[in-house]
Amino acid sequence: MPSDRSHPERSDRPTPGLAGIRALGRAIPFRISFKTPFKTLGPGSVSSLLKIALDVAYVLLMVITAVLLLVFLASIFVPIANLNITVSNDSGGRQQPLTRPLLLFGVGALTSYFGGFLLILRNLRMIFRTLTIGDPFQPDNVRRLRQVGLILAVVTGGVWLAQGVVAARLAPGVMERQGFGELLTPIFSVLVVFVLAEVFREGARLRRESELTI
Amino acid sequence: MAIRIQLDRLLVERRMSLTELADRVGVTVANLSILKTGKARAVRFTTLYALCRELECQPGDILTYEPGPPEPDLDDDET
Repeated sequence: MPSDRSHPERSDRPTPGLAGIRALGRAIPFRISFKTPFKTLGPGSVSSLLKIALDVAYVLLMVITAVLLLVFLASIFVPIANLNITVSNDSGGRQQPLTRPLLLFGVGALTSYFGGFLLILRNLRMIFRTLTIGDPFQPDNVRRLRQVGLILAVVTGGVWLAQGVVAARLAPGVMERQGFGELLTPIFSVLVVFVLAEVFREGARLRRESELTI
Repeated sequence: MAIRIQLDRLLVERRMSLTELADRVGVTVANLSILKTGKARAVRFTTLYALCRELECQPGDILTYEPGPPEPDLDDDET
């Protein structure tokens, strides 16, 4: 049924409170119809541009992860006691010598962080490939989105835990311990990704139903 | 599924090929084959109408019910 915003509601006598809200609704155009002025799915669309950006980011992240992995392996064997390197927080307050456990933990955590995002980008590239073809509701995309949600949860949870370990054990005073409030945004993001995965599952189901309806 | 499609018998009786029926009904041979082998999930009324028109039969001649458990939903193991 077409919406008619220029005329008053045709419902039966509204209550005074509701009438006020409806009057406000008519005064403020809440239902602004917006259509993207560009193509979002299929070949030559924004999706294909985003896929190229993801491809570039994937290669860069792969290089960074490989370099970090080499640094991690090197830091196992390189003697650092003679180098006399110290670490401090941003304000330059307290200083602490760079010990091997601190270095290994730091580089290892950073490698895992970038490795996790590498896996996320890998899945996103595959999802965007299906968007570029113009067929987003493939059953594989459900699995990919679930993996993205899981990796995002592990990576962000891991960062939070790692910062806690560094702040409490490895370099107390150099790094501030993060509170539970810092976890709210990652939790929200992970939940949104899982909900999106379910939306895609429903889409894949409807697609299959449609394919098998003769 | 406990609902069976009797296209084979009807085609033999009418001496009609699957390709010819697909042409007349306006669906692809692949889709008609899905229907014939019982892999279809649903049949549109328009398709059923066209099938009845071309085969000169009633819907009951095409679809038959057989008692028994329905086939499991394919969605669960897919995703």
